[in-house]
Amino acid sequence: MAPSVLYHCPCLSTSPIPPPPHLPSSSYNFHLLHTLFFCEECDAVRCNRCVSIEVSSYYCPNCLFEVPSASVRAEKNRCARNCFMCPNCRNTLSVVPSDPPDTGDMRLPIPASALNGPPFFLYCNHCRWDSAQVGITFEKPTGLAAQLQKHEDSAPDSLEFERLKEHFEPFLRASSLSASTSTGHPTAHISSAAHSHHLHANSITAAASAALARDIPGVGKYNPLARSTSARGGITKDKSINKDEMAEYRSRLDITKASAYGTGGGEIDVEFMKHIEDIGEVASLEQRWLNSWAGPLKTQELKPLRIPLRSKRSKRCPACTHILIKPEQKAQSVRYKIKLVAATYLPAITASLPHAQRHTAELAKKSLGKSTSAANDDEKNAASDMHAGKTYLFQLALSNPLYDPIQVRLSVQRMHVSTAAAKEGASSTEKARRPPFAVSLPTSTFSVAAYAEAWEYDDDDEMFGLDDDDDLLGRGGRDLEGRSGKAKTVGVLEKRANTTLVGGEVVIGKEARGNVKFNMLVSYTYRSDDPAPSESNDGEGISTKMAPKAPEIKTFAFYTVVDLGHIIPREESRVAESDL
Amino acid sequence: MEQPIYYSKAEYIETDTGNKVSRRATIAGPQNIILGGKTVISSGAIIRGDLRRTNPGHAVVISLGRYCLVGENCVMRPPYKTYRGNFNYYPMKIGDHVHIGANTVVEAAIIGNHVEIGKNCVIGKFTTIKDCAKIADNTIVPPNTVIPALSLFAGSPGRFMEDLPESTQEIVEAHTKTYYTRFQPFDPRER
Ligand SMILES: [Zn+2]
Ligand SMILES: [Zn+2]
Ligand SMILES: [Zn+2]
Ligand SMILES: [Zn+2]
Repeated sequence: MAPSVLYHCPCLSTSPIPPPPHLPSSSYNFHLLHTLFFCEECDAVRCNRCVSIEVSSYYCPNCLFEVPSASVRAEKNRCARNCFMCPNCRNTLSVVPSDPPDTGDMRLPIPASALNGPPFFLYCNHCRWDSAQVGITFEKPTGLAAQLQKHEDSAPDSLEFERLKEHFEPFLRASSLSASTSTGHPTAHISSAAHSHHLHANSITAAASAALARDIPGVGKYNPLARSTSARGGITKDKSINKDEMAEYRSRLDITKASAYGTGGGEIDVEFMKHIEDIGEVASLEQRWLNSWAGPLKTQELKPLRIPLRSKRSKRCPACTHILIKPEQKAQSVRYKIKLVAATYLPAITASLPHAQRHTAELAKKSLGKSTSAANDDEKNAASDMHAGKTYLFQLALSNPLYDPIQVRLSVQRMHVSTAAAKEGASSTEKARRPPFAVSLPTSTFSVAAYAEAWEYDDDDEMFGLDDDDDLLGRGGRDLEGRSGKAKTVGVLEKRANTTLVGGEVVIGKEARGNVKFNMLVSYTYRSDDPAPSESNDGEGISTKMAPKAPEIKTFAFYTVVDLGHIIPREESRVAESDL
Repeated sequence: MEQPIYYSKAEYIETDTGNKVSRRATIAGPQNIILGGKTVISSGAIIRGDLRRTNPGHAVVISLGRYCLVGENCVMRPPYKTYRGNFNYYPMKIGDHVHIGANTVVEAAIIGNHVEIGKNCVIGKFTTIKDCAKIADNTIVPPNTVIPALSLFAGSPGRFMEDLPESTQEIVEAHTKTYYTRFQPFDPRER
C-alpha cells in the first residue's frame, strides 16, 4: 500500500490534539484533505462528521427530475414518475409490453413504444425479475407510479401509520406551538436556517423533550434548556405540555390477527417456514430492510419499488453556522455557489518511499515489451516493504495552495512510548503494539513558494518531465539507503513551483511490528491579507470585519497522521530469506 | 516527485494534438472516431468506430474528450437497439478527463466529464454517466442505467454506494493531467 497522509479534524473537541496513531479511534479523527472543509470565520478545519447538513434540493437519481419539497412528502420520498427499482436486485426496472425474451442473446427488451399490447409490466434486465410474477400488471404504460402508490397506500401497514399520524397530529401541533412561544429554543442554530423541514423537526423535538420532561417520581428532571436562564423558571409553563391529554390509540386492526392481512408474523409465518424447500423463498434481509418499510417475508411477494429520491445538500460550520458548501440548484450540476474546502487553505502533503519508487520504476522498465500494465501487485508491495531493525528514508512533498509563499515547520508528535513501557504490567504485546521507531524530520522552518496559475499543469511538459539535470539534489538522496548520508537526506531536497520536497528518515527498532505511523504537526505562517481565498465568501457577506486589515503574519497549525506502511518483523524476514 | 509511467517508445503513435495511441490497440473505423487531445489509448484496447448507423454519409461513432485514458484491453463499442423494427447503432460520447480502467467493456451512450471507471467493469448499453461520477473496479452496470453526478457506483448490478466529495472535479482533473504528464516514452536501446 502506498504511504498516506491524512488530516486531523478536531470536530469541536476541546483538545486539538489527536489520539495516538495506533489507537482505533485515530481513523475516525483523520481524513483525506480533499474531503475536508475550512471555516474562515472560526479559522478551523471541518469535516463531514461535524458539519451541519441541510437539504437544498431533491431529485430522482434515475430520471434526474428535481422534485419540489412540497411534493416530496406527499409522494413519500420516492419518484412519482416512471422510475422503479427491482425488489430482487435493486436495478432499475423497464416497462415492457409483452414477455421479455428469455433467450440468452443479450437483446434488450423491446421498448414499450414499439409494440403496444397490454398488459404492461415491469422487467429487470439484470436478474430477469418481472412484476407479473407478483401479479402486478398495468393497462397503460404511463402513470405507473400513481398506480403503484395506490397499492402502497392501501396496504394495512400504511393505513395504520396514517391513522397513527392522525392521532398524534393535534398533540404535535400543540407542542410545536408551545415550543415556539415558550422560552429560548434548544435548536437555535438550526432554526436560523429557516427551512421548511425545521418546523417538522422542531415539533418532533418538542414532543420528545416534552415526553422526557415528564415528572417521574424519583427521577431527576430532564431539562433540555439547562443553558438558558429563563428555562429554569419555566416548569409551570411546561405543565400544559406534559399532561397526557390524549385519548387512547385504537389500531385499525387487531394486532393478534394482523398476520392474516399479510403483515407477517404469527402462525402464518410458522406455516410458511415449515414448508420451505429453498432458501431463496425467503426474502433476504437486504431486500426486506432497505427496500420498503414493511417487507414481506416471502420472495414471491416482493413488490416493485418506486425509486427513493436523493438530495443535494448544503453544509454549515457547526460552530458559527456559516455556509461552507452550497450547491447550485440544478440537480446534475457539479458547481457550487459556495465551496470552502480545506485544500484551498492547507498545504497538500504526499508521502513517498524512495526505495519503493526506485524499485517500481525498475520493474516498470523491465516489464516494458511484455504487458505494460501496473507490473505485478505483489512485486510492487514487496518493493515498499520495510524490515525491522533497518533505517529508511522517506519524502514528503508539500504543495502550497495560497497565492503567497508560506513558511512551514514540521514536528513529530511524541508517542509516550517510554511511559507505557515503564509500567510494571506492560506486557510484551503492549510493547509490540507500539512500534518503537524513531522519525527524523527537518527541524528548521522551510518555505513553500506561492501558487501561481501559470504552474497549472497545462504546460506540463516542463513540470514532471524526465529531468535528468534536476537529479542532483532530489534523486541523489535516493541512492542512499541505510545509515549513511543522513545530513543530505533529512532536510529540504528540492523546490519546484509551489511544491517543496523534504526528506526524513525512520529508524525501525529490531522488535518493531505494525505500521510506521506517526502524528505530525504542521504549522505554517502566511500573510493574512491575502485576498484570493476569501473571495468566495463575498456572496455571503461574511467579510465585513475582515476587509480593512493591515497585512499581518498569521500562523495556522494542524495535525496529520503519516502512514509509511507495514513493518516486516524480524522472524518473518528471516524465513523469507531462508526461502531464497 | 511524481514517478513517470513508462511506455515503449516504439509502441505508441503520438498525434499532433498529443493523443498517444498504442499500435497494439485495434482502432476500427478510425474516420468515425474523434480523440480530443492528450488522450491515451493503451495496448490491446479495441475501439469499434466501424459500428455505425446504416444511413449514408459521415458520422461520428465514438468521441472522446481531452485527457482521457482507455485502459489496456478495454472494449469500446457503440450501443445498439432495434427501434420500430430497425436495428441500429447509436453514437457514444465521452467527455474530458475520463479514465477507463483495464479490461473494461463500455457500451454507454453518454459519459460526462471527470468520470473514473475502474478495472474489469461492464458498462451496459445506453448507460448515462453524469459528471464526476465514479465506477468502482469490477462493477457491472446493467443496460439503460443512469448514474447521477458525484455518485460512486459499485457491485453487480452496479448500485449507488455514496456521494463523492465536493472537490471531486478538481481531484480528477489533477489526476488525469498528471497521468498524461507521467506517461513517458522509454526506449530500452537508448539507455
Ligand atoms: Zn470534524
Ligand atoms: Zn424518477
Ligand atoms: Zn433485478
Ligand atoms: Zn465557523
